[in-house]
Amino acid sequence: MTSFTINGRTVTTNVEDDTPLLWVIRDEIGLTGTKFGCGIGMCGACTVHVGGRATRSCITPVAAVDGAAVTTIEGLDPQGQHPLQQAWRDLQVPQCGYCQSGQIMQAAALLVDFPAPSDDEIDAVMTGNLCRCMTYVRIRAAIKQAAGAAPVKPAAAKPVAAGAKTS
Amino acid sequence: MSRLPPPETRTNPLSRRGFLVASGATGIMFGFSGVLAAIDPAVPGSVPADAKGPSFAPTIWFGIDADGIVTVNIIRAEMGQHVGTALARILADELEADWSKVRIVHVDTDPKWGFMVTGGSWSVWQTFPVFSQAGAAGRIALIEAGAKLLGTSPAQCSARAGAVHGGGRSISYGDIAKSGTVARQFTPDELAKLPIKPVEKRTLIGRKTPALDVDAKTNGSAVYGIDAKVPGMVYARPKLPPTRNGSKVVSVDDGAAKKVRGYQRYLILDDPSDTVPGWVMAIADSYPAAIKAADLLAVTWTAGPGADVSEKMLLDHAADLIGKADGGVELDVADHPASGAFGAGAASTIDAAYTTGTVLHFQLEPLNALAFEKNGVFEVHTGNQWQSLILPTLAKALGVAESKVIMRTYLLGGGFGRRLNGDYAVPALLATKALGKPVKMILTRQDDARFDSVRSASAQRLRMAFDGAGNVQAMEHHACAGWPTQVLAGAFLAKNKAGGAYDPFAISGADHWYAVGHQRVRAIANDLANTTFRPGWLRSVGPGWTNWALESFIDEAAHHVKADPVAFRLKLLTGAGRNAGSAPAAIGGALRQAEVVRRAAAMAGWGGKLPTDTALGIATSFGQERDMPTWSACVARVHVDRKTGVVTVEKLSLAVDAGTIVDPDGALAQVQGAALWGLSMALHEGTTFVNGQVSDTNLDTYMPLRIADVPELDIAFVDSKEVPVGLGEPATTVVGPAIGNAIFNAVGVRLRHLPIAPADVLAALKG
Amino acid sequence: MLKRILIGIAAVIAIAIIGVTAFGWRSSIAPITPPAPGSFAPAQIARGEALAGAGYCATCHTAKGGAAYAGGYAIATTFGTIYSTNITPDPETGIGTWSLAAFTRAMHEGVRRDGGHLFPAFPYDHFTKLSDEDVGALYAFIMTRPAVHAEAKSNGLPFPLNVRLLQAGWKWLYFKPGRFVPDAGKDAVWNRGAYLAEGPSHCGACHTPRGSLGAELHDKPYVGAAIDGWVAPPLDKTNPSPVPWNEDELVAYLGTGVSRYHGVAAGPMATVPHGLAKLPPADLHAIARYFLSINGAEARAAETPVAIGKALAADKIGMGRQYDPVARLYAGACASCHFNGGTDPNPLRPDLALNSALSLDDPTNLIRVILYGIDAKQGIPGVVMPGFATGFSDGDVARIAAYLRATRTGKPAWPDLEKRVAAIRAAGKGQE
Ligand code: FES
Ligand code: FES
Repeated sequence: MTSFTINGRTVTTNVEDDTPLLWVIRDEIGLTGTKFGCGIGMCGACTVHVGGRATRSCITPVAAVDGAAVTTIEGLDPQGQHPLQQAWRDLQVPQCGYCQSGQIMQAAALLVDFPAPSDDEIDAVMTGNLCRCMTYVRIRAAIKQAAGAAPVKPAAAKPVAAGAKTS
Repeated sequence: MSRLPPPETRTNPLSRRGFLVASGATGIMFGFSGVLAAIDPAVPGSVPADAKGPSFAPTIWFGIDADGIVTVNIIRAEMGQHVGTALARILADELEADWSKVRIVHVDTDPKWGFMVTGGSWSVWQTFPVFSQAGAAGRIALIEAGAKLLGTSPAQCSARAGAVHGGGRSISYGDIAKSGTVARQFTPDELAKLPIKPVEKRTLIGRKTPALDVDAKTNGSAVYGIDAKVPGMVYARPKLPPTRNGSKVVSVDDGAAKKVRGYQRYLILDDPSDTVPGWVMAIADSYPAAIKAADLLAVTWTAGPGADVSEKMLLDHAADLIGKADGGVELDVADHPASGAFGAGAASTIDAAYTTGTVLHFQLEPLNALAFEKNGVFEVHTGNQWQSLILPTLAKALGVAESKVIMRTYLLGGGFGRRLNGDYAVPALLATKALGKPVKMILTRQDDARFDSVRSASAQRLRMAFDGAGNVQAMEHHACAGWPTQVLAGAFLAKNKAGGAYDPFAISGADHWYAVGHQRVRAIANDLANTTFRPGWLRSVGPGWTNWALESFIDEAAHHVKADPVAFRLKLLTGAGRNAGSAPAAIGGALRQAEVVRRAAAMAGWGGKLPTDTALGIATSFGQERDMPTWSACVARVHVDRKTGVVTVEKLSLAVDAGTIVDPDGALAQVQGAALWGLSMALHEGTTFVNGQVSDTNLDTYMPLRIADVPELDIAFVDSKEVPVGLGEPATTVVGPAIGNAIFNAVGVRLRHLPIAPADVLAALKG
Repeated sequence: MLKRILIGIAAVIAIAIIGVTAFGWRSSIAPITPPAPGSFAPAQIARGEALAGAGYCATCHTAKGGAAYAGGYAIATTFGTIYSTNITPDPETGIGTWSLAAFTRAMHEGVRRDGGHLFPAFPYDHFTKLSDEDVGALYAFIMTRPAVHAEAKSNGLPFPLNVRLLQAGWKWLYFKPGRFVPDAGKDAVWNRGAYLAEGPSHCGACHTPRGSLGAELHDKPYVGAAIDGWVAPPLDKTNPSPVPWNEDELVAYLGTGVSRYHGVAAGPMATVPHGLAKLPPADLHAIARYFLSINGAEARAAETPVAIGKALAADKIGMGRQYDPVARLYAGACASCHFNGGTDPNPLRPDLALNSALSLDDPTNLIRVILYGIDAKQGIPGVVMPGFATGFSDGDVARIAAYLRATRTGKPAWPDLEKRVAAIRAAGKGQE
């Protein structure tokens, strides 16, 4: 049994401990905005936030998030109006769109750590996110536009305190 | 924790899948939201809204309901090109629709839609006339009906922004539709004769309008094939055989797999269509269980052909075939047939061989398909680019009539040509037929790479003969590669005048627009490639290799005669004879290609001074097909590090003439993506065959371009009123040779293999 | 925690020879009716709670997903699996019938109420240093926990290792009972720190190497040791961290599990800060002060800004356009979380150049973390590092480890990395 919150709601699941969080999110919880790309932590399509930090859900065993707060693209902003999402639409970033949930989640975490990111900082942090359609030019521009807009609020989820329970 | 759940929990589909207990979970969308018959990517969940009230549909391509909502039916697959928006914009412009009321619906494979394919950058080009006429027909009918309702004559009325205006009054399209008074029908002949708006009157084409599918692609609500679900489905993952063709299962032992919680059984697929020979499927309650179980299945096979094939064998075989005088098919390219120009008649000749390595599609969404049977009809829900091609195969695999198979196309998480080949629908259908339950098959990334229809490795040899003044007298281009069309779609092979069949997609590009006197172009199938794997169409297909060879070679020729590479090209792009171009799409011919060469050179500051070991290189292309050319030119500025062999591309300048630009921002996105694909294939990605399989199956070793690798891009379109042509591919083919040519100009070494690795550059510098 | 069980069990062989049966015999202490929770003073219970935290009692005495202190936690040893016992005040299955005297004897001498010898997986060699007052406080805390009925699981030790009486031989050889004796030459803070570290927190149990029969080598205190498939780094002057462990960093690390200049607590160390966080800040400072006197950090203070500068520079290695496949692998897999810009590493972006795991002679810790990651309950609370075991080959992991070592430390390359990765992978993640 693993309990965690997803987009603010508590869920408990009894799948195998080593089940990747990605499939729990997609197939058990039914939030399919988080995508499967490589399954080995190298494309970023599955990026969600755990405790506010961008995390590759495909290689995160569900047991690892016990007690943690998970946020997916669906929960980044309830209205889909995170400054990054606005910039993404404004600059028409997506092509096939398949990588974009992960890109936006990674970028949201980026802006928390680097509120006014330089090109080098964008490159270093976003290089883990592959866009096979190669929308990189627009991703970079949209991140800068969002950073320049209203202060970016951190993702809905905050780190949660570690439970008293030890393992 | 590999305990099996107690038996009683296995029958309940929810608990057996370890379904969630959600507390306070109102609003959480649980799975099984159902499958989609058609999709509207602009709405969350992608479910198209029902029409309100009576609706007016003068052709099958669109309808207008009582609310004035214009629903445009799209038979093309959405894979990042925002094709629905681009096509709807064409129709809506002619229709004088209110853009805010336009919706797009990607439809199923009902035969009424005709031939369904998305690729080759054909969508806009092929649809433009059809949708313009459909829109015009709608406008005329609405004006007629509107005039009646307004109590005036059609001649007194005009249509604008979704309403008919006349006699100082107006009535909306919705109200006209609601009245149910439009009955006008058009015959195909009438349609074809309808007047199309003059370019100046266009209100949507050429204007920036946000793509209708973009919102859903920023908030997680866009629905891709991998997201399709249906109640009661089981998950499947294949255990792939040792060879792509001809493998046979000898035995399967699932002793270890049985320990996986949720594993149900394995299936040996029996495939009358021979699409997936030797496939074994692990069936499980959940996908992670299917992944684990497939890993644990112990299967023995007898391997089919190619089990020992290496990349070197493929390339050596291709070189051998080129070396043979017979074999292959000559294209009908020359104004004058080949002559003895390479003999004593030539003052000088050059001769060079080029190769390219195997490339994976690596579309980001791994292949998947959801299949089930409903009322005797098999449905397969997936993302696909060429439904019409695969339907007969699906019918054959299932042993049913084609009318008993429907494919429903979802958004594609990348196509790039991979999903022109719908082979992945076969195993899902076979599994559902065998199990009698819906089956959701997903390939892992590694499976996807191994099952890819890769871009074949290629070998080419080019020769050119010059007279004493350095004028080109003759040219030959021999190209050998796996032929995707031969293997996957034999009916689409082209024929030369002598009746020789060849794969047009594997040689296009070699039939260029340069005036070179006597010309031979010979296409040769690499039969070893064709049997070892199933060669695929990959973004730009043939020109991906032919243009690498051609444009590198043209540069070599320029240097041979001590001419400037830009000037040399301009001199050959005379636009005379067979290169004059013709209607509808190739008006202007080689002169338009000359213009993009000039523009790209100017944009990049051709001829200016640059730091040491830094230089510009140029390459150009007409795209894929001579009757639908997209004129493109690219200048790459590169720096070569002589110590490490690392080539840094600092800037790419591209000039593109694609006729009328229907969607300027979308066009820019396509060229950005295509150019970076070209860069990725030139310097970053590529794999090799080892023992009949690709050696790189995931991103730990396969390394496509990432954001940090992106150079400065400068892209310009020629302002044109000519017929719009495709944009998805041509730019991929100019970047590689532009880089190769720039490397030569920077450090004087000629690279003749793609991809270019630092080690190759170092070796060339030393040698 | 102390899952590295004592090879000392092997001392049974010695025992057989010496014939220590008589030596080893202990009397049973009469059972009592469990004391009423109200019979303990709240202040005493609170003090016991802090001590229980400092001693991580819950870590070993709670099974995964089980009730706190109810035992059943599996401790894998080379000799077989031992399960921890139920220490809730349940009279039948816990220690409800233990008097304070019985509890004290267990803590100070490693003997059960019924006279049986405890396996030294229970670190009574450290707890013997506890003052009677502190033992009383612990007793008060434990006896006021909810009683949980949970039968002890039988241990999987084969005969004759399972003969508890024979444990006496090990004690005879290695165990020196006795309370903590303050060092008159040191101040009260130091002595407080020494008491906590040596007694309840039993730091040496992991960080001091053990001899062939499993006893701590008292002539090599805190030089680091292998533990449960991890390396407990040296806490003395041989600690190789680029940034010396000063008082602030130690306090931050011990209290939160995170040091911006060293990384996060993982593996067997992961739960240590959860326990230590129960101590008042002064106690954490005292522990830090004690180790400061051992690790020579003050003399190395000048190294700190240099190491940080180097680390931040190293972060830029391999970023931007490059064609080295290993650098690309690192950039794709690691940089999005571990890259630091600016002038100071962000503790939520653990800087690998500063991470202890990179500087140790043994690559085990780095390999383990790359393979298996760090759960939300370990390290930075609520944050996960995913593990790359499923997708990365042994070669991939070895390449990344070698690349980090080469680009971020001045230390010699680790030998045979790929084999090490394979061995660690074969051993599995374990349960921490
Ligand atoms: S799917 Fe998780 S990183 Fe690629
Ligand atoms: S938009 Fe297609 S993969 Fe990024």
